[in-house]
Amino acid sequence: MKAYQAGIAKLTESDSVVFGISGDKQEDNAKFAKEVEATFPILSDPTFKTIKDYGIFNEKWQLANRVTFVVDKEGTIRHIVLGKEAVDPTGSITFCGTLHQSKPTKK
Amino acid sequence: MQIRHLILATVLSAGLAAALSAQNPGAPPMKLKEGDKAPDFTLPDQNNKMVHLADFQGKKTVVLAFFVKASTGG
Repeated sequence: MKAYQAGIAKLTESDSVVFGISGDKQEDNAKFAKEVEATFPILSDPTFKTIKDYGIFNEKWQLANRVTFVVDKEGTIRHIVLGKEAVDPTGSITFCGTLHQSKPTKK
Repeated sequence: MQIRHLILATVLSAGLAAALSAQNPGAPPMKLKEGDKAPDFTLPDQNNKMVHLADFQGKKTVVLAFFVKASTGG
């Protein structure tokens, strides 16, 4: 999450918003947000409903797997980053940039 | 005797590494794939504000960074 905070300016520039999501309780995420000085929303899904909808629930550990999804303006998943690679947001940030370059906003 | 222990330790750590990588594989079978519709959600953020994914449709690209646990690395 720290790395995402560091990359937030670039993400905002590319007309994107970033959300962190975990199965933690809201108070734990509030504490975590302070620790990493996150300015972006960190969402709580303690019932794991959304985490299950996205198919990334780890039954054994009762946790979300570390996965990043890039969803375009039409609500379609355009890019998925799995596991350790998802810790580093560079790929997603670059992808957001490309997405907007390839599909410029109509004025 | 010591060599045997060393071999045993090596085999065990290799097994452990394999087990760990199996738990956190690079490519777990994914329910969703690129091109699929992102499932909608409404979830509260750290400031008690509700975030509804569909609200961003037509406006912003949304990066959903699922993470394992608060107050851990990454």
